[in-house]
Amino acid sequence: MPTELRLHVDQHVRYIQSLDTRKGELEYWLTEHLRLNGLYWGLTALHLLGHGDALPRHEVLDFVFSCMHDNGGFGAAPGHDAHMLYTVSAVQILATLDAFDELEARVSGGRQEIGQYIAALQDLETGTFAGDEWGETDTRFLYGAFNALSLMGLLHMVDVDKAVAHVQRCANFDGGYGTSPGAESHSGQIFTCLGALTIAGRLDGVDQDKLGAWLSERQLKNGGLNGRPEKKEDVCYSWWVMSSLAMLNKLHWIDGTKLATFILQCQDPELGGLADRPGDMVDVFHTVFGIAGLSLLKYPGLEEVDPV
Amino acid sequence: MASHGVPRTAAAAVRSEEARQKELHQIEAYKELVELVNTKIAERQYTLEVLASVTTLLNQNPEYYTIWNHRRRILGALMQTPATKGEGSGGEDLLLDDLQLTFSLLRKYPKCYWIWNHRNWILRTAEKSTDLDRAHHLWSGELQLVGKMLQADSRNFHAWDYRRFVVAQLERLDSSRISASEQVDPTVVKWLESEFEYTTKMIKTNLSNFSAWHNRGRIIPLLLSRQGADDRTRRHLLDEELKLISTAINTDPFDQSIWYYHQYLMSTISPGCPQHRRIALDLTNHDRQKYYEHEMEYINEILEDETDCKWIYEGLLDLAASYLEVDGGTKAFTTRDMRSWLEQLERLDPLRCGRWRDLRQKLNI
Repeated sequence: MPTELRLHVDQHVRYIQSLDTRKGELEYWLTEHLRLNGLYWGLTALHLLGHGDALPRHEVLDFVFSCMHDNGGFGAAPGHDAHMLYTVSAVQILATLDAFDELEARVSGGRQEIGQYIAALQDLETGTFAGDEWGETDTRFLYGAFNALSLMGLLHMVDVDKAVAHVQRCANFDGGYGTSPGAESHSGQIFTCLGALTIAGRLDGVDQDKLGAWLSERQLKNGGLNGRPEKKEDVCYSWWVMSSLAMLNKLHWIDGTKLATFILQCQDPELGGLADRPGDMVDVFHTVFGIAGLSLLKYPGLEEVDPV
Repeated sequence: MASHGVPRTAAAAVRSEEARQKELHQIEAYKELVELVNTKIAERQYTLEVLASVTTLLNQNPEYYTIWNHRRRILGALMQTPATKGEGSGGEDLLLDDLQLTFSLLRKYPKCYWIWNHRNWILRTAEKSTDLDRAHHLWSGELQLVGKMLQADSRNFHAWDYRRFVVAQLERLDSSRISASEQVDPTVVKWLESEFEYTTKMIKTNLSNFSAWHNRGRIIPLLLSRQGADDRTRRHLLDEELKLISTAINTDPFDQSIWYYHQYLMSTISPGCPQHRRIALDLTNHDRQKYYEHEMEYINEILEDETDCKWIYEGLLDLAASYLEVDGGTKAFTTRDMRSWLEQLERLDPLRCGRWRDLRQKLNI
């Protein structure tokens, strides 16, 4: 790795802290539908950087609780409808901050309520999960449900076997998984399916060599990873692909040094944050997934991330 | 919050005071509109007027999923009430307007999940209040939309997912017209046949389009089984596909997509392939050997001109492993061949040296 390339920890911490002070930018308002996800991404990045206390805990929790609905689900921000994607982020933040007791203090039986909201989104016929009452289904939501429920110790509230069978129906000849049965293999979707199977302890049905080979071919000459064959590289796949390889114990099937170099090149060294590719605009989504990728690569000074 | 491919310099440039003021005005106007829509919805004012405000807001921010939910709340209510004179919008007209809205938004934001999702809802809702012919007309119109989306980006997985969904709906409508007793169902097969042709067209335009190869591989076993194809037809199709892919490999042996489709075809030949994913159903191990030998033969020929293409060596090693699975006596190649292919992989592809090390151990060569 070129010596001048290093992780600009302080800049990234300041960048993440600055995210909620950008109310003079239209973009801040246009992205309100991602606020709770963004908070989770920022918080996770800070924890990996060893600065978990850089965001005020109390304010973070106040915001999270202000997004909760009576039905146990969470919206992206106050006034936004409840949806699986934000409910999962809320649970992940509560788990990161070890705040389930505070949840119970504010909403008695809160954990159970969240569990019920999630469990009610399972399609009992196919085993998959919807995102909300409007019915869109996707393996992203199935993984989210498993992730949040397992963090709360409530996985028994859903039909795990049926959900596992659904994931298995999404498997393709190349060992990968798509959004639904019959859909093309995609690294992001592979992460969600492998993650769900790992949580369920059911990696037995996975064609590990084939999938590992497919995932390893995501690495391009410049070190970056793409999401599907013959597509461009993008920092976020440092997480989707690498965490999947980690779940298969095959992190060594790609060149980690080259990937780390690519991720570091995507930093904004002055203002902090990471972008999809070198020289592009940074955002908190690519920031957390780039840093999480570096953590899987055991980059010095970073906390270790759980690939699931 | 997740930006792709936007250069940093352009965005980070210092803004002039004038630009800053302009942005503050835009923010005020945007927040007012959000406030207006949310207030009206909280008051349950499900009117055409509010619907128009929702349209304006979604045009500014199609990612705002709650507003799409509001839109469906309004549409649901408006469709319950019979059209009044003056306002004049029947339920279907409203839904047709939404087809227009989502179409223009998808052209601008082709990867926005919520727009695709809303379009799906419009179609499902419209179908409930119309007859079979009209429903058929509406769903088949969707194929044109998807066609346009895939013309703009032939790898858009939202569009491919939606395409598969639309075809499934058309098959469902057609099969509801046909008596259950019929064995082979010509109209239902018709959709899969035209989808198969569509993948041919897409592949011919761009050999690298793995989305098209993927869909082709998914369609083939379905199509054969719906056709009630006999063994001869099945073998014929397998041979045709192998011919197609060998031409493709010859054209560009460095393209991943092509090799993955080759892997797919080989996976259907393997004795471990589940029945419903097979192309030919009557293969003996002797047949399998013949297929593997034939593939190795022409790939070896390509190798003579392309000694630095790693996919060739990987293909040969895969074929060798499959061959060994059905026959212990290695006639088509030697262990030495396998060792040299693996050495070439290590030489040409150091990024994945860990994988080649594991493979060497697994093959025990």
